[in-house]
Amino acid sequence: MKVWGMVLGGYPRGRLARYSLRDRERGTIRSSQFSVEMLKTHAEVIGVQKAAGLPVVVDGMIGWHDIFRPFIRNWRNVSVDGLLRYFDNNFFYRIPVFTGEPDIIEPVWPGRVAEFSLLADPARLKIVLPGPVTMALMSKNKAGLSTEELAERIAYLLRREVELTLEYNVYVQIDEPILSMRNAEEHWAGLAVELANNIISGVEDRSIIAVYFDFPSKKILETLLGVRAKYVSLDIVDSPRRAEENALPLDDHVPVVGVVDGRRIHEDRISDTILSIIKKLSGSGDEIVLTTTTWMDLIPFRYALKKTNILGRMVDFIAERLGGEAVKLWR
Amino acid sequence: MTGYEVPRKFPTTVVGSYPKLEPAKIALKRLRKGEASEEELRPFFEQAIRIAVEDQVKAGVDIISDGEQTREDMVVFFAERVEGYMPGEWVKIFDNVYFRKPIIYSQVKWVRPLTVEDWKTATRFSMGRPVKGILTGPYTMIEWSFDLHYRDRYEAIIALAKEIRKEIEALVNAGAKYIQVDEPALSTRPWREEAEIAGEALKILFKGIEAKKIVHICFGRVEEILPYILDYPVDQFDLEFKNSDFRLLPYLKEYGYDKELGYGVIDVHTTQIETVEEILESIDRLMKLDILPPEKVYIDPDCGLKRLPRDIALAKLKNMVEAAKIARERW
Ligand SMILES: [Zn+2]
Repeated sequence: MKVWGMVLGGYPRGRLARYSLRDRERGTIRSSQFSVEMLKTHAEVIGVQKAAGLPVVVDGMIGWHDIFRPFIRNWRNVSVDGLLRYFDNNFFYRIPVFTGEPDIIEPVWPGRVAEFSLLADPARLKIVLPGPVTMALMSKNKAGLSTEELAERIAYLLRREVELTLEYNVYVQIDEPILSMRNAEEHWAGLAVELANNIISGVEDRSIIAVYFDFPSKKILETLLGVRAKYVSLDIVDSPRRAEENALPLDDHVPVVGVVDGRRIHEDRISDTILSIIKKLSGSGDEIVLTTTTWMDLIPFRYALKKTNILGRMVDFIAERLGGEAVKLWR
Repeated sequence: MTGYEVPRKFPTTVVGSYPKLEPAKIALKRLRKGEASEEELRPFFEQAIRIAVEDQVKAGVDIISDGEQTREDMVVFFAERVEGYMPGEWVKIFDNVYFRKPIIYSQVKWVRPLTVEDWKTATRFSMGRPVKGILTGPYTMIEWSFDLHYRDRYEAIIALAKEIRKEIEALVNAGAKYIQVDEPALSTRPWREEAEIAGEALKILFKGIEAKKIVHICFGRVEEILPYILDYPVDQFDLEFKNSDFRLLPYLKEYGYDKELGYGVIDVHTTQIETVEEILESIDRLMKLDILPPEKVYIDPDCGLKRLPRDIALAKLKNMVEAAKIARERW
């Protein structure tokens, strides 16, 4: 049994990043200077992940106001509107408003990947994409398309992001948190799977589909297993009882298990319940990936760094408990 | 002070917050910077409360508030004044805007009245109109804080409820006839078990309290928890309707709603001022469903007015009062 770890998604902003963003909004910082300031934070979070021994790292998405925003900014026929609560968080995203078939003006990831791959080395970089179903359902659709058509179009644009970063061998993660909602409909999951399969075509063995904020229903999870991504990421800490009830062996997928609470700041511990859910999810598999339950952008910066360390230690701890081998960057 | 007669039918009220007035903004800034103590800044806050109250009186609102002028934030204000909390660090709330999410580090303890002075100040300028005592509820306080002490949410919520109850007692002892507990977080996890936890807390808060007992919940999927909250020990639910285009109305009918209703007819998320006709139409819409008599319907905005410019907030309130007057003739 191989056990390794990676952070699920974005990091919060420390003082430096907050002030740099503020200065950019005010127009009091040159864009070259802004890039330098932001790079410092990206370098710090990448460094912390490497130091924790995580073989796959994120760049932290420090400048992203929410998961949709950079894409909205770089696409045609979509803009942002008012604020809406983002799931059960005390955090609000800006609602994307599609007014026509969206198209790419400039891709989001290729430039970032080129910039951060060297920093990440020898760890591999992971790019994170908003799931097309989550994005379509959380937007205002005035595009004259059905929700399905809009999601398909979004998926088509996200596929371009993957194609344009192919040469860097990045990991690709598609976030579909909406599938964790208790009123999530099965056909959303079906569509999410179909579209994810298109997006990750050719890179299945380094692709992840991630569902978080709660554990999905059994039906949704079963549907989700139709995805050809090698990795399926689930949040088992936000509602362990639901996870216990609904967890099932992920067949030929590798479970990516959210065990470090990305939204709270206490020291995480692994209970027997959590261990048994991990075992159940892995079934007869020989690989387990540990992750944060969610992005860590909603906790203070220094706690996110601390949680990264905890995740690294958790890899050793759980590998030992499962009689497996911890795969760390430096070993 | 008495002498003001609240209309029997369709009394008008507010949810609580009013746009921050200049003296309050100055005082909060100086307080945050540690330049002056709360006592030293009291005259500024009193002036702000006075203006907020005078605006509401000018608009003709029957049951008013202190405008929450001393509250930097609905959670932070209480957290800074209850023992067991420590100041939080910056956490993103939207875009590049943050709040200092408070941290519970030991047992919570109410040590002195928190809102009674503000309530008294408001009452002094209210020309006899009753002033609501308004508190952030324990469920929301815990949801929007970090907890390093209790670990178990239920335990934390119940512990805090016992302390917040002391504030309610202090308000009632001071003469408050209306007590409102704000639980906006409740709509973010609209599940039975969550509604039950909040219900337990409300029992602790309100048992034997001799005042009109109100709970305010806003936004999110309130219809999903509605069946589980109807037996809360409160006289009135104050709910948002306008922003969600009265989606909740049919559910009130379906579940046989029979408590008093704070009926939100003013959208606080838009600067567009609802016309008198529009508000009347909203009132008619409720009354035609024959759910409640006009004596049980309180007309108010969806939520606090803090994010609106002052002139817009005032104009909205004026139209609301005007519409309620006409409705009293009609129903
Ligand atoms: Zn509200």
